[in-house]
Amino acid sequence: MATERYSFSLTTFSPSGKLVQIEYALAAVAAGAPAVGIKAKDGVVLASEKKHKSILVEEHSIIKVETITDHIGMVYSGMGPDYRLLVRQARKVAQQYFRTYLEPIPTTQLVQRLAAVMQEYTQSGGVRPFGVSLLICGWDIDRPYLFQCDPSGAYFPWKATAMGKNFINGRTFLEKRYNEDLELDDAVHTAILTLKESFEGQMSSDNIEIGICNSSGFRRLTPAEVQDYLANIA
Amino acid sequence: MATEVMEVGDYMRDPRKHHFSPYMDNGGTTVAIAGDDFVMVASDLRLSRGFNIFSREQSKIFGLTPKTMLASTGCWADVLTLNKVLQARLTMYSHEHHDVMSTTAVAQLLSTMLYWRRFFPYYVSNILVGLDEEGKGVVYHYDPVGHMEKLTYSAAGASVSQIQPLLDNQIDALNMKNVTPPKMTKELAHQLIHDAFISAAERDINTGDGVIIHTITKEGTSEEKIKLRRD
Repeated sequence: MATERYSFSLTTFSPSGKLVQIEYALAAVAAGAPAVGIKAKDGVVLASEKKHKSILVEEHSIIKVETITDHIGMVYSGMGPDYRLLVRQARKVAQQYFRTYLEPIPTTQLVQRLAAVMQEYTQSGGVRPFGVSLLICGWDIDRPYLFQCDPSGAYFPWKATAMGKNFINGRTFLEKRYNEDLELDDAVHTAILTLKESFEGQMSSDNIEIGICNSSGFRRLTPAEVQDYLANIA
Repeated sequence: MATEVMEVGDYMRDPRKHHFSPYMDNGGTTVAIAGDDFVMVASDLRLSRGFNIFSREQSKIFGLTPKTMLASTGCWADVLTLNKVLQARLTMYSHEHHDVMSTTAVAQLLSTMLYWRRFFPYYVSNILVGLDEEGKGVVYHYDPVGHMEKLTYSAAGASVSQIQPLLDNQIDALNMKNVTPPKMTKELAHQLIHDAFISAAERDINTGDGVIIHTITKEGTSEEKIKLRRD
């Protein structure tokens, strides 16, 4: 890294008290592909649009919804390469925790540690903030969790949220559609509908990705399962 | 200090020279026995060095959480430091997690902490006891560098060679034919611990003065002191 040459941070305050680099990072996130997360009574769903720039792209080689541990999963909006780094760090943190305590890392602990990493990059020499917002879902013992981590290092617990392009419309849609009694199946259905609001073209199992988290743990849905859900909304 | 027995470390190298050893053996013995819904841990009360007695009232058992206790013997300086550092880690965990550490998590943490010092070990024999998340009694036995074994009973310290075979025979009916192991109850555990320490104090100069027994159940902890011979 260039940290040896730079002892000063590149993220500095503007006269109005804003950290402009973080604002710009949030703009990069808002320009990214939409991602949605919804917490149900018995689980959490993460969904993301996976539009490729060309029909020649091998869609199923790109994975956006990633497993961090058996019980925690993650998706993003923003810059893919930055995301990959955070996925690796999250996985390492989870394994180190397990090595020390022989217990799966609680979702809140993982989120706090990952957010601390993202904050470091706003106050260290020679680096820029991450250009991603993360949606992290997990299941600890007996309840579901959904968190968002921002480039600033702030994290928010959500019942349901949308990120990326058109996220304001997405959130408005969810405010109307969300209720506390949703079951996981309904939540998946609602997540797909939320993505559809900003989707140009035809949705298929090739251009969206869905992950679910419940008492059995976290997993990505297979294209066939995604297709089943899509068939129900058509 | 007045003339004392030379520490074994002093003449381990060249018999003509003094050699500094950072370690000291302060004696002490610990025993732990686990049952289905309780665990009992006991230690003698003597702290010594060679033929000198430092204290007749030093318990070797430390409470960590309402459900977990640690019994440590060996080099008393290392015992105290290990306990201090472990307490600090427990406090940090409860700050971050807003919850107390489970017995199994403490057990694993202790193992990693000991191995961090693989090349200048804590000269300590540890037995960690507690109730697991299901309320069952567990005993974890450690070597000085963190090898950990989950057991139902264990002894450690100065009189381990005398007490461990006695427990093997009486609790697991080992090395006997046609005997079934008894069901472990608090009364049986108490009697075994009592008899083991009395026998060990007879034969080992580093064990004696008294025994302290702690019992952990889901209702809480209780302790009891028994006198031992003071010679």
